Parts: sequence; C-alpha cells; structure tokens
Amino acid sequence: MFGLKGLLFKSDAPAHLPDDVRAALDAWRNTPAPTLDDFHFHTRYVIVDIASRGMNPESDQLLEIAASTVQRSTILPADALFIDLETSADNDAPADEASLDRQLMAFLQFAGKAPLVTYHVSYVGGFLQRAFRERLGVDFQPQWIDLAWLLPAMFSDKGSSVMPLDHWIGVFGLDAGSGRRSAMENTLLLARIFQMLLVRASAKEIDTAARLIDESRASTFLRRTH
Amino acid sequence: MRQEGRRRVAGNTLTFLKKHAPFDKMSADALQRFAEQAQIAFYPAGSEIVGAASGNVRFFYLIESGKVQARQAGEVTVTEYSILSLGAGESFPIGAVTAGRPSTNNYVAVEDTFCYQLPAEDFMALMVSSPEFNLFCTQYIASLLDQSRRQLQLQFAQKASEQQTLNSPLAGIGSRSPVIVGPETPLRAALEIMSQAGIGSLVVAGEDRKPVGVFTRSDLLDRVVLADRPLTAPISEAMSAARLCLDENATAYDAMLAMASQGVRHVLVTDAEGRLTGVVSERDLFSLQRVGLRQIRQSIDSAHDVEALLQSAADVRQLAFNMLAQGIGAEQLTQFISALNDALTRRVIQLNLEKHNFDGIEWAWLAFGSEGRDEQTFSTDQDNGIVFACPDGAAVDALRQRFLTFALDVNKDLDRCGFPLCKGNIMASNPQWCLTLGEWKTQFSKWIRMPEPTALLNATIFFDFRPLYGKHELADNMRRFLLEQAAASPIFLQSMARNALDVAPPLGKLRDFLTDLEPDHPGKIDLKKYGSRIFVDVARIYALATGVHNTNSVQRLRLASQRLAARGEEINAVLDGLNFIQLLRLQHQYLEGEPGSQGDNLIDPDKLNELDRRILKESFRQARKIQSRLKLDYQVN
Repeated sequence: MFGLKGLLFKSDAPAHLPDDVRAALDAWRNTPAPTLDDFHFHTRYVIVDIASRGMNPESDQLLEIAASTVQRSTILPADALFIDLETSADNDAPADEASLDRQLMAFLQFAGKAPLVTYHVSYVGGFLQRAFRERLGVDFQPQWIDLAWLLPAMFSDKGSSVMPLDHWIGVFGLDAGSGRRSAMENTLLLARIFQMLLVRASAKEIDTAARLIDESRASTFLRRTH
Repeated sequence: MRQEGRRRVAGNTLTFLKKHAPFDKMSADALQRFAEQAQIAFYPAGSEIVGAASGNVRFFYLIESGKVQARQAGEVTVTEYSILSLGAGESFPIGAVTAGRPSTNNYVAVEDTFCYQLPAEDFMALMVSSPEFNLFCTQYIASLLDQSRRQLQLQFAQKASEQQTLNSPLAGIGSRSPVIVGPETPLRAALEIMSQAGIGSLVVAGEDRKPVGVFTRSDLLDRVVLADRPLTAPISEAMSAARLCLDENATAYDAMLAMASQGVRHVLVTDAEGRLTGVVSERDLFSLQRVGLRQIRQSIDSAHDVEALLQSAADVRQLAFNMLAQGIGAEQLTQFISALNDALTRRVIQLNLEKHNFDGIEWAWLAFGSEGRDEQTFSTDQDNGIVFACPDGAAVDALRQRFLTFALDVNKDLDRCGFPLCKGNIMASNPQWCLTLGEWKTQFSKWIRMPEPTALLNATIFFDFRPLYGKHELADNMRRFLLEQAAASPIFLQSMARNALDVAPPLGKLRDFLTDLEPDHPGKIDLKKYGSRIFVDVARIYALATGVHNTNSVQRLRLASQRLAARGEEINAVLDGLNFIQLLRLQHQYLEGEPGSQGDNLIDPDKLNELDRRILKESFRQARKIQSRLKLDYQVN
C-alpha cells in the first residue's frame, strides 16, 4: 500500500512547479513517516482548519489554512502556521501561481507526515486534496482523525451523534467568543477539544496515534453505514 | 507563514489576557511576549498540575478555564489557608516560580482545567521587562502574607497576649545559639561538626561574630561533592554568601516576607553591631502559626516523661482551637480531640508501665463517659477504669492492689497533663472500678436487673466504655455481654427511657427559650444538661436496644436508625442538631472560658446572633422530636 502511494506521489509533478518547490516536494516525499505506535504524549498531532468560499471542495475556492499542533499534550504557540491563499506570502499583493505553490508546500513541510486532526474530513480534506492535486500534483492522503465522528464515539455521555462543532464547544464549556470565528480560532478550539479527547482516549486504552486513527476510521465507518 | 501562525495563536491568547489583571494593565509588548511563549495545556479533573514533589517549578500557570485547588503540602506553610480554590484568570505558584524553588502547595485540577503555562525563564524575563507584572507578583506574595497576618490577628485577638505571633521580634524566635565556624575552617572539620551536632547547616562568621556566609547540606552536594572540592579547602570557598540578615528587632513577619521573596529558608539574626545572635528557619516561623497534627502526634509518641507530655497537651488544646477557628465541624473536632487525648493517655500509661510490670496478665484500660464516646470537649475530667483477667481466683485481690497502685500513678500524671481528677472518683485507682472481667459482668447485670436511680446513673457513664490500652478483647467481651443482657431486659430499657425523658429541651411556649431552669444561673441555658445530653441518652438506649457496638452518639444514632429503618433525612436533621449544640459548647468553652480554667456549658441565648439563635431553636426541636419518638417506642407516659 505504501509502495503504491509512493508511486502515485511520484507520478505527475506538474510542469509549472518552481524548482525550489519541486526540490522541497521531493524532500517531503522522502521524509519518513513518524511512528504511530508511540503514546499520544510523544506524538505530534497537527490540527487543521480551513476557510473557503462555498462548501463544495470540487468547485469552490480554498481561502485560508490554519494549523497548530498538540505535542507533549500542549499547544505551542511557536508551532503554528497560517496561510492566506489570496495574498502572496511575501507581501500583501495578490498571490501569483508560484507563491500559491510555495504556500501549499509550506503547509506540507509544516505538517510533515504527522497525523492530521480536523472537524469533518470530507470538507477540510476535500479542499486540501483538490488544492494539492491541482497545484502540486500530490495525492494528499494523510492519516486523518475526524473529530466530528470521533467525539460522539468517545464522549457518548455528552452527545451521541454527529453535531455542529458549536455543540461540542458548548458541551465542553469553552469560550468561543462571539461572532464569526476565524480559521485559526477554530483550529485552537479544536486543539483544546483534542487535548481533552486524548485524556479520554487514553483512559479507554486508545493510547497511541495508530489506535486513535483506527478508532476514528471505525467511528466514521460505523456511523455512516449503520 | 509560521510567524503569522504564531502571531494568530498569540492573538487568541491576548483576547483572554486582556480580560484579566494584571495583564490588562501591561504594555502591548510585554503581553505579546507572554502570549507568544505561553503554552496551552489541559488538566483533567483530579490530576495534579504541580506539587511539592515535582522539583523546582518549571512554569508559571495561568488558569484559562476550570478550577484548581491548592493544598498545603506537609507542615511547611507560607499562608494561613490550608486549601485555596483558584479559578479562571488566577495564577500560581507565584512565590515558588519567583524563587526558583519547588512549590509548597500541591495544585490539583478539581474540574477539567486549561492553563496557559509560561516557562520559568520567560516568566523571569517578563518580571524584568514589565514593571506592572513585577509589581503584581511582588504584591501578590506580600498580600498573601498580609492576608495571613490579618487572619491570624483576627482569630487570635483574644489570645494574642498568650502566644508569640508574627509580630513578635526575631530576638525571641528560633535558635539562639547557632553553630558558628570561622571562614578558614577546613571543610572536613566543618562537616564533622555538622554531623556530630546533627544539624543541616551552619553559619560562617569571623571572630567579630559578623556572619559572612552559610553552609548547608545542599551546598555540600553542589559545591563540594559535584565541584570536586578537597575536604582540606576552607569552608569559605564552599559556603553561600550570607544573603539575608535581619535585625533582632525585625518581626517574624518581616522574616517570612524576606524568605518568601528571596526564596531562602533561613534568616540570620544580628544585633545592632551586625553580630550574629541567632538563626530563624522557615520552620521556626511556621510553628508560630500552626501547631501541626503530625508534630503533636510525634511529640506525644516520643515523649520520654510526663513533663514532655505537658507541652503536647497544651498543643492539643491550641490545635483544637485553631481548627475551631477555621470552622471545622463539631463531630470531627470532638473525635479529633479524643484521638489525640487517647494518644496522650496511652503514652502516660506506657511511661508508667516502665515502673509497673504486668507481663503475662490480660488487662485493659477503659475510658468511660464522654471520653468513652469520643465526644470530649475542652473541659473534660477523667473517667476511667481497668478490666483484668485473673487466672488464679485466690490472687485477685493482690493483683488488684498492684493495678490500683499503677492506676493511681496514671491518674495523677493525667491530672498533671490537664485531665483533672474525677470528682465522683470514677477512676481506675478506685477499687470499685478496677475489676476483673467477671466482676464487671456481675456489676453490669446487677444494674440491668435492678434499675434503681443509682444503677441508671451508672449505666449512663459505664455503658459508654471504650478500651484505650491493653487487651481490647476483654472490652469486646464486656460489650457482647452488655448488649445481650440489655436487649433481653425491656424493663431496664424502659427505665432508661423514663430517666432520659426527665429533662426536656428548654423550649418556651411563649418565648423562644426557657432560661430560668438553673436557679443559680438565671438567663442562661446549660447546653450539656438540656442539650447534648438529651441526644446522648437517647442514642445510648437505641444502641443498647438494637445491638450497636459503637459508643459515639452520632454513630449510634446513625446505625440504630438504619436498624430501625428511620428515614435518612430525619436522622440527619437530628445529627445536625446535636452537632450544632456541640459546636456551640466548644466555642463557648474556648472563647469565653477563663484561660486555664474549666469552661462551663452555660450560654446566654440573648448573646447569640440571630442566625445562631434560630439554629439553636431548631436543634432543641430536634431533641424534642427524638424524645417523642423514645416516648412512643417505650410507652413512657
């Protein structure tokens, strides 16, 4: 399976890619995936949320990517990333194609091959997948943990079906401020919820990233099909 | 993009910081630095965030949401509170992180809690760069001490003259003859002195007695062993410079503040010329504030003679008073006084056993009355006896004589420790109450078979017995016998009930309280006679009737009510009533009793505040309620 993925990754690097991005992409492809058999405490989880114009990953535009991490059970402000795809990375000018590619590449470099945590993989993952496929020629298939499906499985005492994120924010008593939240604010809320989830998961002996990813897949599958 | 990421995470934190002091007053620059460094961590309810055992504090914690409880670890305390609850916007452990030492408190999340944690080095940098933050932290430490001082003054206002307080000058506190060595003393010689004297630190001073440094055991590790310093080197190379010297006239409070803000555990005390006159340790200061339970237990258990126990007896009283002042409930407090008094009595017995040998003989020391019920208040005289087994019937009197001599010594020693001799001579040194197992049983069944007034009175004292020392099986045997006999004698229980109903709670028909029941004390109510005794008597009857082994009235009522299938909330109301009356007695005895005298139980209800009056009235109603129940159950008219 990994061999096949490697083959897919290599297959079609688009011709328009600047050299530096192409080199970075190769380097990224060659980075080994982290072991997922270690305890949560030792695993670097990347929490990600996006902003988009519209909800359809295949036709609507991806605007922002906001990511932070949870490692050693804490959120480190220094380990965070924010990308505004409408402006170039260097200045506030509208993004040209090359800078768009660099921005997307920066996300890949930030994430490495760490497990990714978000709310509704179908939405977030869908937008990311299309962007990486179209711009970098990468079939972006990270190890996803989908809180939308995993939370009701782990906190069935607080809610047993897939619900809007705001429900969970309320249940956990988090201060989400008022008004519309930015992608980064969402990411940080997700990161806090994920910190709580790690404690609950460990108590259920789901104590490694691999087990958590399995659990996420199972909860998604079970709830979708039953 | 990463910078932008960090900036936005920090922005999120800033929103929180700006809502809370002192951050709302800090410069944008300082705040930004805080927000960019502060990690966000989650602590589930029940987990420890930082504790005394986790070594030097690595983070400054600021609670974002949730609740954290701070509990003092061990005996060493910086503040008067023993438990403190912290919520969103509050931070900890400021003193420890400032001083770079382990926390003296254990901080535990009592709810799911999120904290911002600023690494210690960033915290220190912030202290340097932000005057607002610096002021906040310094004032915080000072304010805790101030708070503690004010509490102390408040609680001890009446007794202030009797004891040292934090306002006492250092001249009277701590070690007056600290061990001093000259700066040229070789390390080996200094260490030998420390080892021989059994001390952990010594002061280095010149011939003029002006201190130049301090050498402690931790210096031994860091500056001698790990630094590979030869033991021939002079101690001045390994000592820490004398950082903290205070004048003799400075107060204990000054010393405490200095220790807390500079993170040291000793203060050198000097006279006007700067010559060393003493050393005050953190522990010395805390002993001014608190008499610790563990310390008392230790000093009781290790006392070599009765003289040493005298101080412990005084400490028990002091600690009980501190607990009373902190609002500990009557049930816990009386049991706690009993537990320490038990330990004290046991030690007195042990000490006397060195002079009296009863090897090979089965015997036990019994406590009666309130001591037997674990309900001692501050003024409790002795009620005790001895039960023994005599294998050879002929030798009983000779053996009794030996026990009586021994008991007399114990009774006298207990008297010296503050448990006055019993006026009614209910003491083990009285031949009437120094009996064999068989004799006790005969005595018990006589009282039960012929419940005349003296027998009933004796039953109220002797049936509440509890073994304090020796062979508990003898007392268990007595108890089984008593319960069998009592349960089989309805007439005895009915007589007990009639006796218990002789006294009614002092509730007036027109007024709230009847205050003229005691001709010698008009306007007052005897809280023992017309209050707690009613509960105690009823509890005893139901315990005997239902075979409850316990002697404590609260436990008796709880267990007996279970056996009688009474409703839970009903019995709880009764127990609340009893506990309130006991608490009033304790407060009255300590706060209004003359120092050194036996407190009484006479209170003037008009002097109570409105709330206490209402609770007292309700408590008497509860007494009346259980009396009515007793009346019904035993058909007393």
